[in-house]
Parts: sequence; C-alpha cells; structure tokens
Amino acid sequence: MSEQANGTMPIRKTVTVPVTPQRAFELFTARIGEWWPLATHSVGEDHATGVVFGEGIGGSIVESLADGTTSVWGTITGWDPPYGVAYTWHAGTPVTEATSVEVTFTPGEPGHTVVELVHSGWDNRPDGSAARANYETGWNPVIQHYARFAVTSGQTTLMRVTTAKGLRP
Amino acid sequence: MVLEALGDSTRRLIVDVLRRSGPSSVAELAARLPVSRPAVSQHLTVLRRSRLVTYEEAGTRNVYRLDPTGMRDLRAWMDGFWQEALDSYAEAAQKDAALGRSDRVAIRKGLPDE
Repeated sequence: MSEQANGTMPIRKTVTVPVTPQRAFELFTARIGEWWPLATHSVGEDHATGVVFGEGIGGSIVESLADGTTSVWGTITGWDPPYGVAYTWHAGTPVTEATSVEVTFTPGEPGHTVVELVHSGWDNRPDGSAARANYETGWNPVIQHYARFAVTSGQTTLMRVTTAKGLRP
Repeated sequence: MVLEALGDSTRRLIVDVLRRSGPSSVAELAARLPVSRPAVSQHLTVLRRSRLVTYEEAGTRNVYRLDPTGMRDLRAWMDGFWQEALDSYAEAAQKDAALGRSDRVAIRKGLPDE
C-alpha cells in the first residue's frame, strides 16, 4: 500500500483573507490568541487559558492552562515575515515525534492574502527514526495528537496505565 | 468511530503494541498489557469496528494487526482540525479588516477638510 493510500501525504489547507500579508502574518502569529479555537483545539480544552506564538526561529508555540502549567505545541523553524513561518508540531508528544507545519502568505487580489498551511511529516521523524524497519509509519504522531487534543488528560491516563503493569483489573 | 475507539487509554496501548510488535494474538497482547485476556478481546472488537485493527485466522487463534483504514480516518480528522482553525483565523481576519475600514472612516470623518 502506498504512503498516500496510508494517509501520510501532507495536509494542505488554503484560505484567502481580506488583509495584507503583513497583517495576515501578524494575526496568525503574534495575535494567535485572538482566534485560535482553544476550547476544542488544545491540550487543556476547557482548562486552556491561552496560547502564545513565539517570535523568530527557536521560539515556541505555548498553551497555558488554568492550573498554571504550560504545554509546548511546537518550535519555530522558519521565520520570514510576512512571507512565511514554519514550525514543528508536537503537541503533547516527544519532540522526536514532531510533524511539520509550514504556513505561507502570498499577496492575492489587492488587499487580500492567500494563506496556505501544509502539515507534513506524518511518516517522518526529525531524528531519523522513521527508517526503523517494520515501523508502521504515521501512526504515532496522529494518535498522540488525538490523545492530546480529543481526550481530556489522555496522556496522564496513558502514563498511569503504563506504570501500572502487573495489575489486572 | 475512530476517535471514540482511541478515547480509551487501554485501546491506545493495544494500538501502540501492535505498532511496535507487529501482528499479535490476543494472548500475546494480554501478556504485554495490564489487562486480562477477555478485556483485550473486548477492546479489540471496538478497535476492529473502527477499522483500526483487522485480524486473520491462524489455526485456532486470531492474529490481529493494524488496519490502515482507521489511519486514513484519523488523518481526515486532522484535516478537519486545521480547517476549523483556519476558518476561525479567516473570521478574525475579516473582523480585523472591517475594523480597519471603520477606523479609517472614523479618522476621515474627524478630519475637518474631508
């Protein structure tokens, strides 16, 4: 079965916004807290209080939670305002299991910007471990994403079960 | 539903073991997990319905392995994730643009020569 059939090809999303690339870039990054759907798209869901997008390569995308803790979603790997930004995406997962997101801002009609988001690396790991033989590629990042974003405190539960070896409920 | 199937931590562990170890029987899975054999069977039924695992009969036992169909469903979920995020972003941009225009109108109106 090909990778595409396996669902590991990049996800591509395009949206046109009625603002200049400068403004579109700023809104996507520095002002992410104004629009990101935290209630459904976060580690903490109801307990998420905000998200901040760092500035420049090496900066982080960080969610803050009601209990004072934070969760790093990714690290900026490319920073070229107002043309594009790239970052790793590893919300709730080990950094080694990060996928990659690249967002480009292209001038469209006057006063408009075409924003394209490409989420790739479903079968790729920055540490090269994707080459491991017999590895069902693409599974783990997606499942981890789901675990973090769709299940409240999913990771905590997972860890508890993992450390409870030998118990047979 | 795939997302519901993976909403359970034991089922995520089962998927993880199959991913790491390859095709396995119920007994092999139970030996690696903190749950009983009947419990593993029940979880496998849920995973099978969600097309996350499939099985083949091998003599008297069933050998389970990951089913890529469920993976495609999950990817579709992630696709929806970004779509929703970008929709929200576009909405904010539209508000921003409208605000910018009204700001300019207000400023213009405030100018005596306008």
